Amino acid sequence: MNVDRRMRLWMLMVKQADGAPMAVDHAGAVAVAVAAVDAAAVAVSVAASPRESVYASGPLAADLEELTTTLGEGPGVDALVDGPALAADLREDWCQARWPMFAPAAVDLGVSAAFALPLQVGGIRLGVMDLYRIQPGTLDRDHLIDALVLADTACALLLDAATPDPESPPEDASLQHPEVHQATGMIIAQLGVTAAVALIRLRAYAYTHEQRLRDVAADVVAHRVRFHPDPVAAGPARERAPDEDTEGE
Amino acid sequence: MAQRQLADVFIEMADTLVDDFDLMDFLNTLTERCVELLDIAAAGLLLTDGQGALQVVAASSERTRLLELFQLQTDQGPCLDCFRTGVPVSVVDIPASGKWPRFTAAATEVGFAAVHALPMRLRTEIIGALNLFDVDAGPLDPEKLRIGQAIADVSTIGLLQQRAIQRRDVITEQLQTALNSRILIEQAKGLLAERLHVNVADAFAILRATSRSHNRRLADLAQAIVDGTEQLPASTPMEVRPDQTRNAATTPAAATGRPSASRRPGGDSSVAP
Repeated sequence: MNVDRRMRLWMLMVKQADGAPMAVDHAGAVAVAVAAVDAAAVAVSVAASPRESVYASGPLAADLEELTTTLGEGPGVDALVDGPALAADLREDWCQARWPMFAPAAVDLGVSAAFALPLQVGGIRLGVMDLYRIQPGTLDRDHLIDALVLADTACALLLDAATPDPESPPEDASLQHPEVHQATGMIIAQLGVTAAVALIRLRAYAYTHEQRLRDVAADVVAHRVRFHPDPVAAGPARERAPDEDTEGE
Repeated sequence: MAQRQLADVFIEMADTLVDDFDLMDFLNTLTERCVELLDIAAAGLLLTDGQGALQVVAASSERTRLLELFQLQTDQGPCLDCFRTGVPVSVVDIPASGKWPRFTAAATEVGFAAVHALPMRLRTEIIGALNLFDVDAGPLDPEKLRIGQAIADVSTIGLLQQRAIQRRDVITEQLQTALNSRILIEQAKGLLAERLHVNVADAFAILRATSRSHNRRLADLAQAIVDGTEQLPASTPMEVRPDQTRNAATTPAAATGRPSASRRPGGDSSVAP
């Protein structure tokens, strides 16, 4: 089951990190090791800010990321909006048509396949994990699922300020526990913050109270736990436009 | 009556061909059609997350207890068996069945006596299951089973719409996108519930009614609400009634009554609700 898969991949990431704090870099590095690809990159793109590369496995990945950012097109751009973009052969007509600048340029750099997986939780879009391969061909099912789990883990790492415990992977935010997402929505309204900040706060609460995310979420949905805007420090929690929610609860 | 509803399903199917096709609304509608056409209590669609588990993406009712019952089957129950074997699985008398203790206890508690699961197939691949619950014990008659399977197949078509499905990757792309859309809808449900002081099931009904009256795709509207770029008008459609498993789909005034045909370009609204 997926718990084993998550754990297995997490242990590989811990090994990659070799004592350093866990970061998205390690998810990218493990993706190269397990998913039969030659290069990996992670780019973050929050709100309207431009796409920013935060990890590249090597010079090839860095070049391809720069290409994506410069051209503003490619699987790594589409994935942020439309979900996974999987191009098994960038020479194929549909790829050339969909990415008229990126596809030929990537082929020139020696890459045939590009797989972009969104780092997202529902409406929260944090960035993209891009995987590149020199040889054409689809990602086989098992490799793809490993990559999706790694993208999920990278997503959780981006959302958690606290250094995760190497013993176990951060709790994933799947559909398995819809209350987590309902609670996120409720906290958006309670605090007047963005969805990303709401989920960050929810996760932080669970972490500091040593509770499972799903249990805190269930408490929020049942109105047993409520988040209050910090009255003094108008810190990072207030990112919303002032016209948003003036209930002031 | 049944004929008319079948006709509706055909019209909704045609919708999958248009550009602004609303997948999440379509899947919800199909679960409601199941309830009407098969005269059952509740229906839900579960899709594989690619990791061996199933996730609920649409249901005929958003009642929390019912959603939990669907979700329970991500690791045990008829849906998972159906998904794994690719053949329909029926439990005609839930309380008497010794299988899946956690699931049968929960289903019995909600008042369901029978459950059926039909596979969502794409050629040799199983991508999920259609889950049907009934308050009366007993099998589904063969005619209903056929209609149920047809609806499961139509759901698959809807999921894979507009894409060249000879590429195997596309299935994963579409499934992941559908699962994420459902997460997004859950976020919007929570936000609306908090802001409008309603429960999450009613929040969904409001979201859906608004998406239909504004001609916005359910997931697009949910995204706009979550992003804060769109507020629901103060006069929220209050005719949306609290959700009830069987009645929600059959009451004309319920959020489900809108004919999908009028959403199509050209505004062909000759099909009455």
